[in-house]
Amino acid sequence: MKSPKKKSPLAGFKNILIPLQKVRQFMETSGPAKVMYGQVSETAIGERGRDLVDFLKEVSLFTDLAQGDLRRIARIVHERVYRDGEFIFEQGTPGAALYVLRGGMVEILRKKRDGEEIPLAMLEPPASFEELAAVGAEVVHWASARAHGPVSVVAIGRSDLDALSHNFPSLANKILMNLAQVIAFQLRMLLEAEYFHEESKP
Amino acid sequence: VISRNDSRSAGKLFKSAIATAGLLLSAYLLWKLRSLIVPVVVGGLVAYICRPLIAHLERFRMPRSAAIGLLLVLFVLAVLFIAGRIAAVIPKETAAIELKVHGLYKFNENYRVLMGLDPSLKKGNRFYRLAHEDTEPIVDWINRQLALTPEEQSLFLALHPGGPDVPAGSDRLLDYHRANRKTLKLRARRPHAEVGGEGRAPKGPPQAPSPAMKGPLATLGKFLSAWIIAPLVFVFLLSDAGEIKSGLLSAVPNRLFEPAVRVLEDLDRALGSYLRGLFLECALLGLSVTVLLVIVGVSPRWAITIGIFTGATDVIPYMGSAVALLGGLAYALLAEEIHPLLPMVNPGNFVMWILAAVILAEALKNVYEPIVLGGAASLHPLVVLIGVVGAGMLFGIAGMLLAVPVITVFKVFVSSTARQLKAYGLV
Repeated sequence: MKSPKKKSPLAGFKNILIPLQKVRQFMETSGPAKVMYGQVSETAIGERGRDLVDFLKEVSLFTDLAQGDLRRIARIVHERVYRDGEFIFEQGTPGAALYVLRGGMVEILRKKRDGEEIPLAMLEPPASFEELAAVGAEVVHWASARAHGPVSVVAIGRSDLDALSHNFPSLANKILMNLAQVIAFQLRMLLEAEYFHEESKP
Repeated sequence: VISRNDSRSAGKLFKSAIATAGLLLSAYLLWKLRSLIVPVVVGGLVAYICRPLIAHLERFRMPRSAAIGLLLVLFVLAVLFIAGRIAAVIPKETAAIELKVHGLYKFNENYRVLMGLDPSLKKGNRFYRLAHEDTEPIVDWINRQLALTPEEQSLFLALHPGGPDVPAGSDRLLDYHRANRKTLKLRARRPHAEVGGEGRAPKGPPQAPSPAMKGPLATLGKFLSAWIIAPLVFVFLLSDAGEIKSGLLSAVPNRLFEPAVRVLEDLDRALGSYLRGLFLECALLGLSVTVLLVIVGVSPRWAITIGIFTGATDVIPYMGSAVALLGGLAYALLAEEIHPLLPMVNPGNFVMWILAAVILAEALKNVYEPIVLGGAASLHPLVVLIGVVGAGMLFGIAGMLLAVPVITVFKVFVSSTARQLKAYGLV
């Protein structure tokens, strides 16, 4: 029987990934200043001191993992800090890692051929992004990720996940199952936003 | 007033000077501590090979520290076992003297048969006439090396009393000794002979013992002081569960993070497949040599010993086969009797069969090498040659053993870095 305390891997996920429409709405109602500085002080700075294992516990990808497994993951991840406007990765370059946002906000954007930037989503902690790079052999970044204000992320290299699946298959299996759910959920959200957005309005 | 451009160029100059000084200091320290490089690399490579084992033990809920401790104990036991086996193979003083007598007799006898020499050792067959100017100095040198010193001779005669009243055939080694003395005397009588004869002092001024040769304990102490670091590196690297990689990557600027992840991924893959392939290839060559030598008549005990040395030295290209050939020929030279599984092998053609066995083992290696090693070590032969000889000059035998793996890693690092920098538009 499932414990009532167990969270679903997708619990809280809806608040993490903000689709294009919400980004536009957010930009229009809150103004750029709030987007840039409003929540950063509470997230980026506040999260910095938190224990990495405690943080990983909150991430959808690592739901249902035991404390020992979380400690094992904490040992292989790479903590990175980005300045405002700095690219975490750029469109068209090969993917090498998946990222989990620990603090700050990250803007996902895609450049058109004429150079115009189209904002796709604004991410908040503890969102994960670029999951395909962790599972695909030769993945090229489809979009860019740029820091909005000071940002701290946790990166997991594809080789780290490979090693994990080789050495600790059951642990890697749990992560990959969560990863599959996250990717499926993102696809569903995208379809909903594209085709059923008007229907969902009250 | 100092302009901004002046202060910038001064800053650049200062940074360049600091970087150059750092590089020079690093090179100096590397050179001074070069005796530590090989133990560190060996400890690191063994730890790398053992990583999957540790993970496997951890999967069975064994704590990492306990798994490392268990592996360390197993390694110490394996080293003690191998050292014991080597000590058992190395002959004691009296046995070494008897081996020299035996070896010298067999060598001269085989040489005499091959060259068709008459009893005076002055006339031989066509082959002798053709090649004696080249072969005789080598044969003289081997005779000089294997001739007994006065002390060894008196010790030998104490064990095998050989007065004129002892008849021939009563003591095989004594007969060999007498034949050796006769041969050495004949060789010493020849014009331009370089053999001083048995029982004489070696030519040349006596050499003072070098500081490294002061005593076996001093030598052992010097060896251990450097190699004690290998198990420490082994434990340290196995204790790491990703912190070293994270530490390395944390020093990389953000724009180089993803390329660096991919370079490390390439290195890990190349090193892993190369080491596994190399280990498998060495094991297969050692096994082939052992089986083939047993088939042609080498005793299983010596065939296994030659096989182990062949496998261990095959890390150096062609060295494994050379060791197999030398070992087989030495056995053919010294063996009193052979027990071939093939009916056509006899003492007369034993050397040829040894040669055929080694050639067949090398041919088999060429068959399975592409399967087990793939393109992991596709190095140019000239690079391998220069690398192995250079590493041998700098670090001795251990340097020769490690040259190819280190060059392979370096090659993968350079090629992967160039590829990734290009893929990320950084060059």
